[in-house]
Amino acid sequence: MTTRLFPLLGLAALAKAATVTYDFSIDWVTANPDGMFERPTIGINGKWPLPIMEANVGDQVIVNAFNNLGDQATSLHFHGLYMNGSTHMDGPSQVTQCAIYPGSSFTYNFTVKQPGTYWYHSHTKGQYPDGLRAPFIIHDPNNPFKDMYDEELVLTVSDWYHDQMPGLLNFFISKANPTGAEPVPNSALLNETQNLTIPVEPERTYLFRMINMGAFAGQYVWFEGHNITILEVDGIYTQPAEADMIYLSAAQRCSFLLTTRNSTTENFPIVASMDTTLFDQLPEDLNYNVTGWLVYDSKEPLPEPAILYEDFDPFDDMTLIPWDNEPLLGEPDRIITLDVIMDNLGDGANYAFFNNITYVSPRVPSLYTALNAGELATDPRIYGEYTHPFVFEKDEIIELVINNIDSGRHPFHLHGRSFQAVWRSEEEAGTFEDSNVTSESFTPIPMKRDTIVLFPEGNLVLRFRADNPGVWLFHCHLEWHVQSGLIATFVEAPLELQKELVIPKNHIDACEAAGVPTVGNAAANLDYLDLTGQNMPPPPLPAGFTTKGIVAMVFSCISGILGVAVIAWYGFADVPKEEPSTIVAPGKAAGAEGGVVEGDGNGSGSGDDASSPTAQKETVVGTISNNGDDEITASGGGRDRVP
Amino acid sequence: MAVEVFSVPIFLVVFREALETVIIVSVLLAFLKQTLSGPSHQTVEDLNLHKKLVRQVWFGTALGLIICLVIGGSLIGVFYTVGSNKWDATELDYEGAFCLIASVIITVVGFALLRIGKMQEKWRVKLAAAMESPVRTGRFSFGGTMKRFFEKYAMFMLPFVTVLREGIEAIVFVAGVTFSAPATAVPLPVVVGLAVGGLVGWILYKSGSSTRLQVFLVISTCLLYLIAAGLFSRAVWSFEQQRWSRLLGGDVLETGSGAGSYDIDQSVWHVDCCSPYVNGGNGWGFFNALLGWTNSATYGSVISYNLYWLVVISAFFVLRFKEVKGHWPFMKAKSGGDVGVVSGAPQNSSGSVATGKGTTTTNVVAEK
Repeated sequence: MTTRLFPLLGLAALAKAATVTYDFSIDWVTANPDGMFERPTIGINGKWPLPIMEANVGDQVIVNAFNNLGDQATSLHFHGLYMNGSTHMDGPSQVTQCAIYPGSSFTYNFTVKQPGTYWYHSHTKGQYPDGLRAPFIIHDPNNPFKDMYDEELVLTVSDWYHDQMPGLLNFFISKANPTGAEPVPNSALLNETQNLTIPVEPERTYLFRMINMGAFAGQYVWFEGHNITILEVDGIYTQPAEADMIYLSAAQRCSFLLTTRNSTTENFPIVASMDTTLFDQLPEDLNYNVTGWLVYDSKEPLPEPAILYEDFDPFDDMTLIPWDNEPLLGEPDRIITLDVIMDNLGDGANYAFFNNITYVSPRVPSLYTALNAGELATDPRIYGEYTHPFVFEKDEIIELVINNIDSGRHPFHLHGRSFQAVWRSEEEAGTFEDSNVTSESFTPIPMKRDTIVLFPEGNLVLRFRADNPGVWLFHCHLEWHVQSGLIATFVEAPLELQKELVIPKNHIDACEAAGVPTVGNAAANLDYLDLTGQNMPPPPLPAGFTTKGIVAMVFSCISGILGVAVIAWYGFADVPKEEPSTIVAPGKAAGAEGGVVEGDGNGSGSGDDASSPTAQKETVVGTISNNGDDEITASGGGRDRVP
Repeated sequence: MAVEVFSVPIFLVVFREALETVIIVSVLLAFLKQTLSGPSHQTVEDLNLHKKLVRQVWFGTALGLIICLVIGGSLIGVFYTVGSNKWDATELDYEGAFCLIASVIITVVGFALLRIGKMQEKWRVKLAAAMESPVRTGRFSFGGTMKRFFEKYAMFMLPFVTVLREGIEAIVFVAGVTFSAPATAVPLPVVVGLAVGGLVGWILYKSGSSTRLQVFLVISTCLLYLIAAGLFSRAVWSFEQQRWSRLLGGDVLETGSGAGSYDIDQSVWHVDCCSPYVNGGNGWGFFNALLGWTNSATYGSVISYNLYWLVVISAFFVLRFKEVKGHWPFMKAKSGGDVGVVSGAPQNSSGSVATGKGTTTTNVVAEK
């Protein structure tokens, strides 16, 4: 049993903006958080779990990241931070930067302007589930709830794989996995471990900052014997809301108050249970729950959690009201409808699509294309069809309609902002268009967050104001679907970006080290409208009969017809009379040619007389040429000839 | 065709065996009629003997048939109740193996079927030889008792042994073919095969016309080879599909006939519709059984299909060459001693069919 707590420094006391610097050497360590399997894991400065990043609102944060992995490129995304004015520090590789190659350094330098619970993780090639993920807490000196709690604790839930992502991804996106079944985690973790104990004191109120840092599994979380009061989701303060169970999808966060009981006679389980509806199959040996305990008295036993037999009924985050009471944004200037589709491409593998496009990284990071394209930066074509680009003008109100054609849950995350979640349907409600919902039905004060769950075959409507120039990804935060292409690129006010943004030399150096071009369109062409050579997904599956199919079919038909013709020819052919000389093998039972000839209707008695017209022939009758038949004619067997 | 109830290969195999049996029986009956009830044999003794022997023929036929049905029925029954469940995991491998066996069997049977018209003559010769034999002494290798028994009951033993032999052959063939078809597809074609075989044999016996029979035989043989080609191709396809299924870990069922139900790297064509396997085939199963249609062709299945035909066509040319020239291609002409080793096809008795109209007489010419 491991006790691993993340006590916070309480920087909230500091009022002045400071510079917080982290020197991260990203390298391989071994870890065995579920006690079942030791595996290489991506650590920082030789350690895993990773350090929690902390800062105050207004602080400048500098992360000097050195890639010491040796065999994998990496990058860091600071999940949930708006990165206003610093879109180039957002982290996704080939979007706002080049991946940091082994042996390269990269400096992230940004000012945090928002309070709340965030996290940082790799945003390169589905890498973070291998370990590169940790909380990032931004304290708020003006926290409206600061007097309501005595202590802050960070609690993460996550899923854990024993295999490493590159191998799992090779399987996931392959013809051997045509249904796109996502690998099922081997364990669930609390604070990157199991059997976590959290010592608590009675009658005390704790602020839990909870983060799902998993790759795939959403998690139901509850504290036996305690209710919780939600105060923040994804960095957005909310009106306090009581709950007994919450659901956190991958990448979602939730802060809540938990007030302890007044007696110390009992300890209470904390349970996180992976959402098994996401799993294609449920391995028999999988424990999809992870348990920790609120420990009032370490001498008391740690009870097994009670088994819940009824369906989980987690708190509905759509009912939350933001603390700032921001009303529904006005009628949108632009409506973008994205249908979530899973389908197979010509390599037989399963891919994820927004409408008919599965994301493929451009050759030049999209941000660099935007900065170098001049006036053409507002033309979505230059970002390449397969980055699925949308270009917004400054301060446009955008409405995103997302229809889930797929039967799975998808947590959608928008970089660079929170959005208003103005409508979310139940499961299997069909498309938004078909459900006849109008903006009158939208929540007047919509919940805001940066990652939201879209239900199976349901729909979702989000609104936001394009007031943050930059290049931002909108994607499903199931790491599998990031790799299978469920991503769109929002290019926001690129002309403004060109005026204010300068890419640090350090970033360009990273591109040089990686051999990635930094100018040109998505195809790295300087003629920005010439996309020849852009990265593309595999072609679609061939539909029915292609040329080779037709050729094969024609050949097969010809073969069949020829074969039938030959058989008919053989079948109708008269068996020729053989030359007499060839039929008689003296002393042998030869192939009895012409041995039987009928007369012309007059019964001529038993067959021992020689009255046949063909009597002149030399004929041997007796043993038929078919050797296998001899036993039938047993009475005549073994005879050379009939006299 | 929701449930497959009629396996064409089984029908053809049963038909062929039934026809052969009927031919033999008819030859026997004709022989008896001619020898014992012809114009020159009008004595009561002869007539009684004729009656007795005819009864022997029918009794032998019936007994042989019953034994065959019992053996065959129980064999196939046991096979389906005991065996089939254990194969699920490697079902396609088994299916492939059985398709292959069925294909080979049909291919071999088919050659014989084309020359079945000559069967009548062949059997007349045999029978004559059998009837002749008691005259000879000293060369008979069976024991004396056995010999006498056989002589006495030759008219029973001949059809009995024949039916038994043809029947067991049919069972083996049918068994080989059935494994590639569901159990429900077995009974009907067996019954129909027996009936049609009997009918055709009877017509042949009555009319003595072999021309129409020849047409019938050629058509059915062509069908048989089309089926065999399809089976051969399906065997290869099944082996490939089993490998694919193993790679997918069972998910292949989840994919129905859509993407992922086949290996794109092996695919020559694939249409999501028209699968002969999904939902009982919806009639496409018929095309699959008859012509080897598949909605998802692979390099293996296409190449094997064409290769099969190449081999069969070549084999027929070779056989024809042999028939005409009397020796195998690329080999020196030999004396005819080894005629007829090929696939049990009757090679003898040329030249006698054409004139076989309304004949009842069997003359055995044995002069030198």
